[in-house]
Amino acid sequence: MKFSDLLRMSASNLLRRKLRTVLTVLGVLIGTASIVVMISLGLGLQKSSLEQIEQYGGLTTIDVYNWTDYYSSSETDTDALIDDEVVEAIGAIPHVEVASPILSVSVMAKFGGYEAWLTVCGMSQEALQSMDIEVSEGSLPTDSDTLEFFYGNQVITDFYKAKTYEYYWETGELPDVDLMNDSIFFIFDTDAYYNSQYDSSVSAPKKYLVPASGLMAGGVDEYKDNCYYVLADIDALRAQLKKVFKNSVIPGQPSTKSGKAYKDIYYEEVYVRVDDMNNVSEVMEEIQNMGYTASSNAEWMEQTQQQMSMIQLVLGGIGAVSLFVAAIGIANTMMMSIYERTKEIGIIKVLGCDLKDIRTMFLMEAGFIGFFGGLIGLVLSEIISLIINQVAGGASGGYYSGISYIPIWLVGVALVFAVLVGMLAGLFPALRAMRLSPLAAIRNE
Amino acid sequence: MDSSAQAVIQVKNLYKIFRVGEEKVRALNGVDLTIRRGEFCAIVGTSGSGKSTMLNMLAGLEKPTKGEVIVAGEHLERMSENELVRFRREKVGFIFQSFNLLQTMNAIENVALPLTFRGVDKKTREARAEKMLKLVGLSTHTKHRPTEMSGGQQQRVGVARALVLDPEIIFADEPTGNLDSRTSEEVLGLMRRVVQENNQTMVMVTHDRHLAGFADRIFHISDGKIVKIEEQQEYREDEK
Repeated sequence: MKFSDLLRMSASNLLRRKLRTVLTVLGVLIGTASIVVMISLGLGLQKSSLEQIEQYGGLTTIDVYNWTDYYSSSETDTDALIDDEVVEAIGAIPHVEVASPILSVSVMAKFGGYEAWLTVCGMSQEALQSMDIEVSEGSLPTDSDTLEFFYGNQVITDFYKAKTYEYYWETGELPDVDLMNDSIFFIFDTDAYYNSQYDSSVSAPKKYLVPASGLMAGGVDEYKDNCYYVLADIDALRAQLKKVFKNSVIPGQPSTKSGKAYKDIYYEEVYVRVDDMNNVSEVMEEIQNMGYTASSNAEWMEQTQQQMSMIQLVLGGIGAVSLFVAAIGIANTMMMSIYERTKEIGIIKVLGCDLKDIRTMFLMEAGFIGFFGGLIGLVLSEIISLIINQVAGGASGGYYSGISYIPIWLVGVALVFAVLVGMLAGLFPALRAMRLSPLAAIRNE
Repeated sequence: MDSSAQAVIQVKNLYKIFRVGEEKVRALNGVDLTIRRGEFCAIVGTSGSGKSTMLNMLAGLEKPTKGEVIVAGEHLERMSENELVRFRREKVGFIFQSFNLLQTMNAIENVALPLTFRGVDKKTREARAEKMLKLVGLSTHTKHRPTEMSGGQQQRVGVARALVLDPEIIFADEPTGNLDSRTSEEVLGLMRRVVQENNQTMVMVTHDRHLAGFADRIFHISDGKIVKIEEQQEYREDEK
């Protein structure tokens, strides 16, 4: 039999008993919708928690430290320290996209009646670009020789009134400092500054004027990765430090046994970005094998994902129950239809309809019920999902990107699943129809 | 003339035994018969004589308990159900007592049904079905549903359906059982004419001795055995 004829016959059989078909389709519809909505809730939850992790430093970044004896500097073995060579070696690990040293120094900022202790992080251009930083004003630190500062959105809260030591957190008033346009002076040699405060014989260290390159987007209360740091281009920062400290030891850098500075600069931390979140743990292991401490959000994420898949399983299971009930409905409808059509099936068998075709015909009917139930169920799910997001979105003040999330793959899977469930439910009735005796047809009433 | 070469149906030592509770019922009890190509045969017997079982066996609807059934060169007793379905689709036309038209289809679709099972495309099969309906004198009723037709008309559709495949053999199970006597003769005359024109073989089961008179040969069956074989002229003379 031609496929088009099979299709036609199945369809006309379904149309013959419209009400029953509609009711059965309704069952599948509800089943599909409940599964899809349940899973979409799970996926929405997963999506928003992943977004949260993203805010706390991304899913593909690894921080590499070297804790080994860093602070007992006199005994320091320079081999274990992180220098440019180590950074390069890390950069050569497969799947690593960006590996940048982080050179952080503490500086004192002064403007008007305000002072602030700030942490300046020097990073490579590559790393700065890869961090997806939102810029509200200006730009990220450029690749120039002169040092430029890029301020995190919470840096402003580090400024305090020099006379009263009052911070923003106490007064609730933002310091009257325009980070972008005011001429802020910075003191790099903080030890010398400290000494000069209490010992009048020591002269105050030189102050430097550093222009701002830009500001990070976001309010004072908004937490983001790097929001309380001042970012700078690492080459410019290094040059500046060399200029300030000449041959003496830069604070935070190790020194030789005799208290002299090393020729190279060592880093506390390396920023590593991996191409895919699934490769994070692999790269981490590699770095740990090199003898450094590595940390990332991978564990947190793994835990979250485990939790999420549990939640999805439970929610999906609840939805599956109603689809299971719908499947029984399909089987029942098909059985009824076979009892009604016993004679007809017998006739077509006598007339030479292939057993395979009979089976296919019934499977297609059941599949149709599954397909249409699935299709309309998906439309319903989209509507429900939209409503949930509207209501919940309004309630949570837009904090979540959506409680219910239906990705394209879920649409496809749900549809295929509905058809499969329909056909599976129709399998037993179809086999039964196939095995009916043709004698039933010629038995005279 | 070598008659065995012309044999289209051969039955050898055929038994069919049903089990009803403890008892064994011998529906067919050792039947031998040969039907030649182009013949119009009637199987006559009272109800319970085994004539319907005989027909079912010849059409491959029932499996024999013992014996051989060779139709159009094929051993039916050795075939699987799939093969039997294929055999019917290719070699056999079937006319039922209760017409057995599909109620949801109109006349032309009913006639075209066997062609559908063969995978003939819609245009070709409907053209052939229309020709067939014209042949049985129903060209004005092609779009009618079975419920909109009289018994005689329905059986003509049935005849058209049986003949549309141009089968080698046509089986008819009490084809006029549900028709009045005038219509019966009409339908039977039609069947006879068409079959003769195409040199097809026809086997008809009936309990009506008068209608059996249309046949070339009549097998009388009683208690599962063929008790008498009549040639047409002989039978006609008997009646007179």
